[in-house]
Amino acid sequence: MQKLLKFNLKLIAKITLALTLGQVPFANAADDWHWHGFVAQGIMQAKDSNFVNNDGDVSTKLTEFGLNSMWQLDESFRLAGQLMYLDGGNRYQQGLRIDYLFLNWTAINTLDWQVDFYAGRYKNMHWLYSSTRDVAITRPMIVLPQSVYFDAFRDVAVGSDGIAVQSTYSSSFGELDFNWSLGATPTPKEQSQRIISTLITGATKQDFVHQFSSFFRPSGSKSQWGVSLLDSDFSYRRTDTDIFADGDFTVQRVMLNWRYSEENWELSSELFQERVSVNGFYAPGMQRTQFGQGAYLLARYNLTPQTTLYASYDHFYANKDDKNGHLLPLQTGGQIAEYFGYQRDSAVSLSHNFTDNWRMTLEYHWTEGTGRLGPNVVPDTIVNRSKYHQLWAVQLMYWF
Amino acid sequence: MIKSAHLLFFIFSSMLVHADNQPSPPPLVVAHSAVVVERLSKSQLRSIYLKRQVIWPNGEKIKVYMLPAKSDTHQQFSQGDLQMFPYQLERTWQKLTYSGIGTPPIEVDSAVEMLKIIQTTPGSIGYLPYGNETNDAKVIEIQP
Repeated sequence: MQKLLKFNLKLIAKITLALTLGQVPFANAADDWHWHGFVAQGIMQAKDSNFVNNDGDVSTKLTEFGLNSMWQLDESFRLAGQLMYLDGGNRYQQGLRIDYLFLNWTAINTLDWQVDFYAGRYKNMHWLYSSTRDVAITRPMIVLPQSVYFDAFRDVAVGSDGIAVQSTYSSSFGELDFNWSLGATPTPKEQSQRIISTLITGATKQDFVHQFSSFFRPSGSKSQWGVSLLDSDFSYRRTDTDIFADGDFTVQRVMLNWRYSEENWELSSELFQERVSVNGFYAPGMQRTQFGQGAYLLARYNLTPQTTLYASYDHFYANKDDKNGHLLPLQTGGQIAEYFGYQRDSAVSLSHNFTDNWRMTLEYHWTEGTGRLGPNVVPDTIVNRSKYHQLWAVQLMYWF
Repeated sequence: MIKSAHLLFFIFSSMLVHADNQPSPPPLVVAHSAVVVERLSKSQLRSIYLKRQVIWPNGEKIKVYMLPAKSDTHQQFSQGDLQMFPYQLERTWQKLTYSGIGTPPIEVDSAVEMLKIIQTTPGSIGYLPYGNETNDAKVIEIQP
């Protein structure tokens, strides 16, 4: 543990020093070429769950390092990308990934109407925090409400390879955004194991993800309203030694969101219903469909211009017709406990900006239920034996 | 039932609450003298400052400038002209920056420097404290 801590802190110190020293020539190298980045390192502990690790020890696996660049080719075209390194223990696949890499064409740019097309690995802009969840400093909390922002799906949900359109129309009634996207995300085996089961040996593929969203900000109002729709298919192909069968998964989500802002405080909320349909996988020819539901309320209070307090309550049911999970032990011969059918989480988080580029965040979560701990399809009943579990985290962030 | 009615009343009344009851008079919005626009709605000004709108109607690139976020003038401009709280603006700019879809406005240290840059930079837009001299800069009328 101490060795790990020492190694991670050394690594982060080196990266931060290098970036700090290199900042002046590095950032805004030219008018049309911009570089930015961030480094975040923390410690966290989730004693009675597999959220971070399986032994419940204090962990330094709270490392995030991102470097992004945007190149303005001309008035209408730009190229942008972000390279990210993550070490989040059981939460994410450890290592480098490209979060986005796209060509952006601004097709219409008038004072009242803007339309942008994206091709490549575009960012998911359909949920309140989907386009900012990958960057530590733009996330409201270290751990976002898991009902909507389930960490096991992080890489699948951050962006996809395909095309997207983003449009904003302004009138005397207010501003209206329309977003549409169609693509698919590669799902490496390790990531699939975090989502489906650690026992799978076959290959998972996202066939497509099709999303639409709209946001409305009434003129002169302090509120924003939105709706988003998602339709996605996954397929699983077994190996000869696999205990699972070939399977096809369909996920469809309808989500409503809302945000209300005052000078010193803000409320935001998203609620959704999600249809998950499985054909095969558990056994050839088996079919199972269930509707999950979830919602969170996130409050922000600006204690001072530099210090912000967040509080959230998050609620998730895997099956809306079995909100307390009573059917789970009956359906699995007692192998899966009732509390795998839901998750209720209350959290507080305190962030303080020491300077314009440094921030420290402290966070605590009280959770009942394990419905949003990975893997999702075949849960980890060995480590997650506690109905009640808690999590604390401290993270230091630097950005440029 | 009564609780639900109160909640619904709060949600829908929030749509009607206006954010423009801020200290007056608001800062002056100024642009380079050759900028082709004479007036902007608050919504259009917001599109420019959120970097959604990046060119003027004649195709010239818009160069957006701001005063330090802690300054009174910026606070008044943010709430009065853009109808956004400074933390909302900051959040949107961070989102642009780290999503690769734009860059925040360029920050200048003072009103004196702002005026100098607006006077000499084609396509520029910025703001000055109310009553500040504007010399050769074009004052843009901001409509509700």
